[in-house]
Amino acid sequence: MAGVLNSILAAAANPKKRSEVTASTFDCLDKKTALILFAVAEAVLGEGFLLKAPRFVETVDDYLNYQRPQQRDQFLLALLIAEVTYGPLISGNFKHFSHLSLADRRKILEKMRSSGQELRRNIYAAFVNVSASTYYASDLTWPDLNYKGVSVDHPDILTQPPPIPWRPKDLRPIEP
Amino acid sequence: MAGTIVEGRNVADNVTLTPDFCIIGSGAGGGVCALKLTEAGFDVLVLEEGPNIPKEKGPAPAQERKMLNEREVEMYKLLYQEGATRLTKNGGVKILQGRCLGGGTAVNWSACLPPRLETLDEWQKRGLPFTRQNLDPYLREVANYLPIVRNDKYNTSARMFMLGCAKHDIPHENLPNNTHNCRECGSCGVGCPYDRKMSGFVKWLPDAVALGATIYTDTKVDRLKASGDQIREVHAHFIDGKTRPTKRKLVVKPTKGVVMAAGAIGTPSILLRSDLDLDNRVGKYTHIHPTTITIGKYPDNTFPAYGVPDNMWTPKFAPGPTGYLIETGSFYPVLSASATLQHGDELHRIMRDYYPTGAISYAHHTTGFDEDEKYGTVELDRNGDPELDYKIPKANVKPMQESLVMMARIHLAAGATSVYVLRNPPLEVKQGDTFDEIRQIDFRSPQRATIFTVHVMGGCQMNKDNKRRCVNEDFTFSGKKNLWVADGSIFPTALGANPQVTIYSLALWAARQICDRHQRPFQFNHQQGGDWPWPGY
Repeated sequence: MAGVLNSILAAAANPKKRSEVTASTFDCLDKKTALILFAVAEAVLGEGFLLKAPRFVETVDDYLNYQRPQQRDQFLLALLIAEVTYGPLISGNFKHFSHLSLADRRKILEKMRSSGQELRRNIYAAFVNVSASTYYASDLTWPDLNYKGVSVDHPDILTQPPPIPWRPKDLRPIEP
Repeated sequence: MAGTIVEGRNVADNVTLTPDFCIIGSGAGGGVCALKLTEAGFDVLVLEEGPNIPKEKGPAPAQERKMLNEREVEMYKLLYQEGATRLTKNGGVKILQGRCLGGGTAVNWSACLPPRLETLDEWQKRGLPFTRQNLDPYLREVANYLPIVRNDKYNTSARMFMLGCAKHDIPHENLPNNTHNCRECGSCGVGCPYDRKMSGFVKWLPDAVALGATIYTDTKVDRLKASGDQIREVHAHFIDGKTRPTKRKLVVKPTKGVVMAAGAIGTPSILLRSDLDLDNRVGKYTHIHPTTITIGKYPDNTFPAYGVPDNMWTPKFAPGPTGYLIETGSFYPVLSASATLQHGDELHRIMRDYYPTGAISYAHHTTGFDEDEKYGTVELDRNGDPELDYKIPKANVKPMQESLVMMARIHLAAGATSVYVLRNPPLEVKQGDTFDEIRQIDFRSPQRATIFTVHVMGGCQMNKDNKRRCVNEDFTFSGKKNLWVADGSIFPTALGANPQVTIYSLALWAARQICDRHQRPFQFNHQQGGDWPWPGY
């Protein structure tokens, strides 16, 4: 059933072309779902997000390999559902999702988040989880968070004694 | 003669093997059984779905495992089930489970608590043989072998927690763990590259291989083939670095038996694929510890990724069938971003406000004690892969709300200027707030809040009740004389404590049963000396 629905939606989808989506070969996405993913990520993260996460689409495509196949299929179906149906169904706008302005795409996200329908909230969660976690996996975003990265010396704060006297009567040895 | 580790992704031909025992899974249960059965002189084969983690010097100082590069996304897809994107069937709970050599022991935060006494009492009512007294030598063996220690290196989340608890006069304790000379990189959750955490790939498994055990990694078990009361064959296939099947297959024809140790989702799913469902008992009554999370925002930088993640807790709220343990941890950019149900400018504001100066506390909630509740069910999807059908039990909703309130109070008492609660929409509470909004959170509807679990238990339970029993007191699977189960799937309820030590101990018990059956010696090697890590237990 999901396969049939996927085929119908894929045939109906005509996502907006974006010059930023340059990858031509994919493991799990295809050209259409890659373009929809870009439109979703832009709505979640903001314009110009590729500046700090330049391999965003490729990273998501690779990551989808590790998902359970049924869950991966559901994610790809969610992209197509959002593209083809959420414009008219949620915003009353007959344009497909990727063709909407950033502001209108965000209005749809907001409505998905607060929806009474479990499916819409789950799709919202999938979109923001994938977008936000892939974005903040990029080293270029870490200075915004004051995250020093991996394989670095731990901060001096950790060498200070505990903030309050700790177990003064406990004579058990402390592991070095 | 030493055994070996074979990486299934590199196997060029189909393989047939005939060990004495085939152990499925290399996590806490599988590692223990591999070592003890090999010690007893058996020819042991371990099958692990995830990748090998070879000992190989890396670029960072003291790095012993080059492939563990501490980078979140790369490690999640390498070391976790479904790349750390496993969800309950309704999408409501994120399930973090290991899938690599060492299983959950490779990626846990090293916490070592014994089984809760109240839980053991409940288990005895359900016919399980374990008591505090008769478990003692097993716990002692684990505590001394790893060993389990007190580690007084506190990260900033633990430091803030101490301050907040002291202000509220809440008793708080050092939480013993299994790290040694910890470098405080904070990377326990993505695999310790320095061999300072005593996970399965550092202790149990290499010790078993040194005595002759063979391990196949990248090997996914399809099904067991049974004949009468015996398991005759284990059928598996090899997978590549992206978890896709290679075209090579493995058939194991064990001469003495099979030990299931694939965890509380993996073990039932293999049994279901093998048509060993015991009239629909397998997979039922699967439990998690639903975990609620708060992030406090403090005036100064906290560097929340670094330091020992999990060595401070409070036992105050643990008692009771729906009690909860508040513990402290580390947090990292990707994990934080994935938990934030937010988009647009607010997403980035929350990340920038709460990450640099944040401290985390979270609560594991006990479940599973209501015999009229269905809890979770492990099922197979249309591809034969497992999924957990689970809804937060009604009885846990109020304790989950109250754990968030209590954690918020502790943060605010410690000096947090605000506390971020992972609700949808995100909720920030401040000093003087009533917490009423926290007490309205609907945890039973998916995506009304972010809920994690890192502990899955049950689904193939030991029980005196014939309607529930899948595993007998001697750890054999019902109706199959040469099939044992030695992992957390045998728990009839959730444990109410981090389960690693309990699984180790029960797997030792299971290994002893197997040795007794075959009249082979089982010995404790680490009963003397050591420093008992749980005073008063």
